[in-house]
Amino acid sequence: MLKKKKKASAGVSVDQIEKLGKKSVKRKVAISAVTMILFFAILIFFAIMTVFGDKASFSELENRYLSDPPKVSAKNIYSGEFSDDTETYVADHFFGRNIFVKFKTYADLFVGKNERNGVYIIKGSRLAQRVDEPDSALIETSINAVNTFAADNPDVPVFFMLAPTSGDIYSDELPKNAPMLDEKNFIENVYSGLSSDISTIDAYSVMSLNKDSYIYYRNDHHWTSYGAYLAYTAAAKKMGFTSAPLSSFDIEHASDSFKGTLYSSALYDGIEADTIDFYHPTNGCNITGEYVYKSFGEEPEFYDDIYFREYLDVKDKYSAFTGSNQPLIRITSDSTGGKLLVIKDSYAHSFVPFLAQNYSEVTMMDMRYIQISYKELIDVSEYDSVLFLYNAATFSTDENLKRLTY
Amino acid sequence: MVFSSLTFLYFFLPVVMILYFFSGTKVRNVILLVSGLLFYAWGEPFYIVIMLISTLIDYTAGRLMDKFDSDDKKRRACLLVSVIMNVGLLSIFKYSNFIFDNISAVVGQTVTNPFVSVNKWLNDIFPFELNEKRIDLPIGISFFTFQSMSYTIDLYLRKIKVQKSFLSFAAYISMFPQIVAGPIVRYEDVAAEIDNRSVNMSKISIGIAYFVKGLAKKVLLANNIGAVWTEIKALDYGEISVLTAWIGILAFTFQIYFDFSGYSDMAVGLGKMMGFNFPQNFDHPYISKSISEFWRRWHITLGSWFRSYVYIPLGGNRKGMKRTLLNLLIVWALTGLWHGASWNFVLWGLYFGIIIIIERVGLGKLLEKLPSAVSTVYTFLLVVFGWVLFDTDTLGDAIMFFKAMFGGTGVFADSYSLYMLASNIVMLVICAIGSTSLPDKLYSKLNRKSGAAVSYAMPVIQAAVLLICTAFLTDATYNPFMYFRF
Repeated sequence: MLKKKKKASAGVSVDQIEKLGKKSVKRKVAISAVTMILFFAILIFFAIMTVFGDKASFSELENRYLSDPPKVSAKNIYSGEFSDDTETYVADHFFGRNIFVKFKTYADLFVGKNERNGVYIIKGSRLAQRVDEPDSALIETSINAVNTFAADNPDVPVFFMLAPTSGDIYSDELPKNAPMLDEKNFIENVYSGLSSDISTIDAYSVMSLNKDSYIYYRNDHHWTSYGAYLAYTAAAKKMGFTSAPLSSFDIEHASDSFKGTLYSSALYDGIEADTIDFYHPTNGCNITGEYVYKSFGEEPEFYDDIYFREYLDVKDKYSAFTGSNQPLIRITSDSTGGKLLVIKDSYAHSFVPFLAQNYSEVTMMDMRYIQISYKELIDVSEYDSVLFLYNAATFSTDENLKRLTY
Repeated sequence: MVFSSLTFLYFFLPVVMILYFFSGTKVRNVILLVSGLLFYAWGEPFYIVIMLISTLIDYTAGRLMDKFDSDDKKRRACLLVSVIMNVGLLSIFKYSNFIFDNISAVVGQTVTNPFVSVNKWLNDIFPFELNEKRIDLPIGISFFTFQSMSYTIDLYLRKIKVQKSFLSFAAYISMFPQIVAGPIVRYEDVAAEIDNRSVNMSKISIGIAYFVKGLAKKVLLANNIGAVWTEIKALDYGEISVLTAWIGILAFTFQIYFDFSGYSDMAVGLGKMMGFNFPQNFDHPYISKSISEFWRRWHITLGSWFRSYVYIPLGGNRKGMKRTLLNLLIVWALTGLWHGASWNFVLWGLYFGIIIIIERVGLGKLLEKLPSAVSTVYTFLLVVFGWVLFDTDTLGDAIMFFKAMFGGTGVFADSYSLYMLASNIVMLVICAIGSTSLPDKLYSKLNRKSGAAVSYAMPVIQAAVLLICTAFLTDATYNPFMYFRF
């Protein structure tokens, strides 16, 4: 104001000042109006679209069911549950949710963060799961549980395979200094803790040697069918069967648009989608069916194929291998081999089709879905061998192995 | 409810504001009260009763003081009731766990907090699910009791006029912009506006600017840099490198500033949209040149509350050196305790009290003579050390953490710290620049040079920032069910 007065006295007419003032007042009003309209338009637009827009009940991206509308009841309101449920509901069904969430990935990359929800983003190459140094007490408990299992079943040979994850095999690609469990060392330590009755299988070497091949998905934390095949050849040497040669399989490219769990975590679009391959035996043994035991005490469901092709059309494509995780899955084949029990995580799903070449019956047992004693489900003495198959990331965090002791 | 939630931002806020804009002046206080109660009850369905009781008693105390205008004894009694009630509520709901934990520690056996049995009793009668082991802290109790007391004390001192309308008084206490995290708006600050205020486009757009700025501080800066501290805080302090410790505590230093000042900015902005002028709560505290100055720029309304209602009534600095020092220590111990019921906070308050005393008796003069870079670094470092006391869980942890900061573990930088540095250096630098006065100066310079362009760009920038904040808020609820473990 003072400055203007000085100018006015220095020869600028009052009219001009008034004009200038009017102009700036006009501009101020215009800007205020735009500010207000833009701000409230955004709020109202998203509110309306959220309320009236289509609501999905399942999020493929997040692989979970989205929340239901909050229930209005006196008790819910008193307890504060109504408020919490409303906030969750609004967030789950917020208009443009997936796009907003993806935006955050790029904002993070922009400020130099190459890690998102525990997944490293390696531009132009792959996504890799971050695996942290495990809790040593937990590992000791798990190792003891496996040893107890072997001691409880002395007549059945027990094998143990701990597979590395892609983050370790491709550790040279990770962001500089990125925390990543040294899985080679970890696997060695676990193996050395296992009792001498248990035969360990070295999957690490074969994966590491073949790192230039397509052995891990780029957008998912599992190994590819080829990776699983390589591990199968390593298992054959220790378990005493002859692995079926690669040439005996007819390879079907079942999908070339697979973006799995790592993608769901990182939400980074810049990595090439994955191919899912099914290895069909051409002159080997035929798979005769799959029995799925979903809950204890019920009859199993029977399927005549181990490939669940309906999963190829959804995001969770890895479940096409023997179906989603279940407490107990039994695969039968016309092989003349014995019966094998596999205590496992999901790495086994693309692995067991190969085992069916050498065993007439392969039963996969998933300790994460079994809350009762395994002895109530199966009789270990009926089996010719037992194989533990875990990846290092699961084994380093899973708390369910301890249930093998009862 | 909190401001940084999609439910508040996209539903509560537009509905309340639109109702408010299109209502007459008289209805506005009704909207203010009802929306405030809803906002509060959203997170605290039961404890709203506490707030209402406090409001009712203070309102009544005010009316009685007015009625017994010439009877000082009665007026004093009213004030006493108000202060005892507010301090009493604070003691029960904020400090009783702490008090009985300490009594238990002293006598060597568990002395249960008697107020817990009230919760049990209430649970038996009503369908509440109150905590039967500890007393939970009602949201905002430290703020609304202090605001309430500012009214009765000032009324007693005849600095303000009585509020005859219960609606207006209740609206003042419960209005949602400041109910959860301040600023501590004294009645005096809004006495005129509570009964007579205007809303116009210019105020609304200024309010939006404050609000969006605050939202960005909270959502884009505080939450993100805060994740770094959350991770480092959980580590074993006996094993972290010097660099890790420093990255961690600097992350917290910025987190608490942007979180708190962001919330205050949002409150000021919402107040402006509704026709109020709330006091500013922060003024670039991290560029202060002494701790005394820091506390004039940090949580300004709290400092001035303690000054007006504790320090000065105790005699301030008018009763001799010894008494001044004692008064300062009392005020700073209370300031610490106000932040939370634990010895860490008391210590944190006394730590600043002692530094301020030292500055008073001579260091302050020296700081003025030193180059400003030196005194700024001196202040910043002392504040950062203060945050170690503030946010570690026990005194033992604080000592361990200090050791780590000064090389106690013998490792200056390990690969983890280098990774954390590389991943977060950009955010740390943005936060550092953001906490100086540089952005404000830059903005006004740009505004002066290329006025129109900048001012027309502002609404668009604000809209973009709002959308980015929305993306970040949505991301916080992103919860992929990963069968990494399945």
